[in-house]
Amino acid sequence: MNGPLIALRNILRDGTRVISTLLIIATGLTALLVSGGFMLSTYDSLQEITMRTEGHLIVIDDTPDPLLGGSHQQLSLSNWQTIRESLWNDDRVLRVLPRARFEGVVSKGNRSAVFFGSGVDPKEEFRVHGPFLRTTAVLDPWPTSSQRAEVMLGVQLARTLDATSGDLLTLHAVRSNGESAEAVVRLVGLYQNGTPAIDNHTLMVTLSTSAALMGSDNISQLSIYLDKKEESAALQHSLQASIDGVTVQSWQQRATLYHKVKSLYDRIFGVMAVIILTVVFLAITNTISLAIYQRRSEIATLSALGTPPPQIYANFILEAFIISIAATTLGMLLAYAISHAINLAEIMMPAPPGKTEGYPIFIYISWHHYLVTSLVLIGIVILASLRSTCRAAKINIARAIS
Amino acid sequence: MTTRLSLNAISKTFGKADNQTVVLRDISFSLDAGEFLAIEGPSGSGKSTLLNICGLIDHATHGDYYLNGTPVSQLSNRGRCACRRRKIGFIFQRHQLIPAMTVYDNIAYPLQLNNVKAKQIKHDVAQLLTTMGLEHRRNHHPYQLSGGERQRVGIARALIKRPQLVIADEPSASLDHTHAQAGLQLMRELNQTYGASFLIASHDPLVINHCDRKLTLLHGFLADPV
Ligand SMILES: Nc1ncnc2c1ncn2[C@@H]1O[C@H](COP(=O)(O)OP(=O)(O)OP(=O)(O)O)[C@@H](O)[C@H]1O
Ligand SMILES: [Mg+2]
Repeated sequence: MNGPLIALRNILRDGTRVISTLLIIATGLTALLVSGGFMLSTYDSLQEITMRTEGHLIVIDDTPDPLLGGSHQQLSLSNWQTIRESLWNDDRVLRVLPRARFEGVVSKGNRSAVFFGSGVDPKEEFRVHGPFLRTTAVLDPWPTSSQRAEVMLGVQLARTLDATSGDLLTLHAVRSNGESAEAVVRLVGLYQNGTPAIDNHTLMVTLSTSAALMGSDNISQLSIYLDKKEESAALQHSLQASIDGVTVQSWQQRATLYHKVKSLYDRIFGVMAVIILTVVFLAITNTISLAIYQRRSEIATLSALGTPPPQIYANFILEAFIISIAATTLGMLLAYAISHAINLAEIMMPAPPGKTEGYPIFIYISWHHYLVTSLVLIGIVILASLRSTCRAAKINIARAIS
Repeated sequence: MTTRLSLNAISKTFGKADNQTVVLRDISFSLDAGEFLAIEGPSGSGKSTLLNICGLIDHATHGDYYLNGTPVSQLSNRGRCACRRRKIGFIFQRHQLIPAMTVYDNIAYPLQLNNVKAKQIKHDVAQLLTTMGLEHRRNHHPYQLSGGERQRVGIARALIKRPQLVIADEPSASLDHTHAQAGLQLMRELNQTYGASFLIASHDPLVINHCDRKLTLLHGFLADPV
């Protein structure tokens, strides 16, 4: 006797019941895969944002505790030119960008606002941000003139100051020795990262402008961009070992938003997964119990003929297994089709809290994710069928046959 | 002659306390190896119940039951299952074929359960299909058969493994004279070749006359105990 064939015949005999079971499993799987795919893509883009804004590795001076100083630390990294040059020979490194953080007040006429500024390498800075920092000026080349100091403003800050391209602004800052300093800069462009809290106060100047204003060639951090992000850990260790007086951080250590969102989503998704899996478990337990009840006479006959109980259960579990394979295949195809359709349709999500703009939903399609989730679901189905087959053992043969 | 089966003061009660039905009372008899024994009695007299106990698919409330001299009433479920698989062939009052299996698979099933070699199974089943006039139904499913054909498949399934004890509950109920004869003929052959014993519940004079001996069950009592 061919076990799988018999199981298949039994499944086909039970058309409607099987179809409803199949749909429950497939729908559950589709929900898990699509929402999981959305979650994975969110994680990925948050990682990407962190890597693009901070770099894969970040070199900071280790004398004052950098974490206490927050992100706008003093200009404390002095030997950065040497470090930067030594990194240029490393194949794994794509870019090394210096960033000097400083703060003060920017004014235009009678309007003024507090700013958080960065002195950056103008040639490279805007390239690394990619789609996450949108600029509204032609920046190639920036600076447009080597004679005059130039500034890029966050869109909201420009609005506060009522400044447009070409306007002259004054930056007021206090140097580390307590002296106050000023610089006049020309507004050449705007940029926007979508977080009002940042766009309200941010501005960028070239490194030479910030050095002149602050009276120091030191920078706050050196951001290292790698060819492959997988190499960050190895390079972090070798850099940390070879350079004295600095701390080398990885992007993960800077990814507070990523970690927060991930732990939030993990929990939401976890609760959802538990609910879906419970529903599937209960539905399967129910349908298999019903099948066993309907087929109790058949079970009794098998038992009367001397079939060992585990062999009888095996038939039902095999049936459940075949159904779950079919259902997960269907679920995966559905999830694939839906995810693909959503990705193509470029449906926009509303702006998340603290952001001014929405973003297109993207659903990750990862075969690894599909396979693992399906296996978990198949496991649940088998567990449910095991539980219900235990009832088959309690069938009274004589009564079921008469 | 050895005793195949022996019942000692078997009784069977269904239900609990205030809702009890006593179906069998103090039944004692024995069946020799190679013997054909008929059990007759009106409907509801407890024939099926008695057969179920003898076939180890039901428990007696009281009394002892020996199969080949071994007490089996106290056997574990597992032991009873193994005993049914190896030693007992059961012809059910309502054929009880497995719907998802073909005629061939239904008949072959007891042999597969006993791990008989595939080649042997093929040979034996083919032979039995011919004897029972069922070759043309080989690959049909039970729902495609007539009541009589189903019953014949049920008989073939019980006899295929050449059991020591065959228990048959109304085996001729849905058979015409010719097929009933053929079934009985087959049972007789099995009986003569292998010394199989038969315990048959029936109303059918054809069957009862074919048997070596008959017992009559009346309201749970044996009318003329042996
Ligand atoms: N599970 C049960 N619970 C209560 N009473 C039962 C049960 N099974 C059988 N009986 C009763 O036991 C009696 C004998 O039933 P049984 O099926 O053995 O009769 P039978 O002689 O085989 O009848 P028939 O010729 O109609 O097949 C009947 O009165 C029946 O109602
Ligand atoms: Mg009966």
